[in-house]
Amino acid sequence: MIRKILHILFLPCSEATLLMEKHNADTISAKEKRKLNIHLMICKWCRMYKQKLEVLDKVLAKTFSEQKTEINESEIQDFKNKMIDKLNF
Amino acid sequence: MTKDEELKSWIEQYSGPLLKKALYLLSNKEDAQDVVQEVFLAAYSGYDSFEMKSQPLTWLMAILNRKTADFYRKKYKSEPNIRLDHFFDETGSWKNNDILNDWNVSGEGDELLDNGDFNKTLEECIEELPSKWKILLKMYYIEEKKAPEVSQELNVSTTNLWKILQRSRMQLRECLEFNWFSRS
Repeated sequence: MIRKILHILFLPCSEATLLMEKHNADTISAKEKRKLNIHLMICKWCRMYKQKLEVLDKVLAKTFSEQKTEINESEIQDFKNKMIDKLNF
Repeated sequence: MTKDEELKSWIEQYSGPLLKKALYLLSNKEDAQDVVQEVFLAAYSGYDSFEMKSQPLTWLMAILNRKTADFYRKKYKSEPNIRLDHFFDETGSWKNNDILNDWNVSGEGDELLDNGDFNKTLEECIEELPSKWKILLKMYYIEEKKAPEVSQELNVSTTNLWKILQRSRMQLRECLEFNWFSRS
């Protein structure tokens, strides 16, 4: 109950998790950072989410740097032909 | 080489990598072809501004990023309606306790990345995101998390950028929780 009141008074979890995004991108203000840190001290849910966010951030960065796509050679060739036609070479 | 010959050799050499990148960003073959076509048309008309000392592919990839952003802006004009009530109650507190489950990940997930099954699950979770969020998330990482650039390019306010990132990650977390961590 006390936890809930504290959350609502200072910073609800729904906003703390938004501040984590700003923190992750290094655009969080000093004041926001203070609010977030206090929230994290009293909220084990958000502490846990933040840990998971760090894992998620790392795996996303990795997976997005490897571009796995499926387009085959004949589709690429068709595209080249169309493009060359289009530019009238 | 004349301009026409040069362009033709670029089309021959670089259609593959450009299409792959575009398809990766947009997850749709027709959209990808449209965007790459735009890239070559822009390269043709802007040929004089290309500096021969730089790599053509680098230049074309930069045009591709711009054209993808244009495409995104046109396709997703409306401001997003992002709801968090699946995750939080009316006071803004977590609804479910599954967030507290331990993932038992050491070293921020290095061993996860080497696991093919995990990567497959992750990709499936990413695919489930609405495409508007998915493209934004990819652009965000490709631009190395430079939020102002991404929000400007995609014409999304920074407030909405944070909200989309927050909401996307909430969903990915939950998806992985159910489909990976609670199973392994």
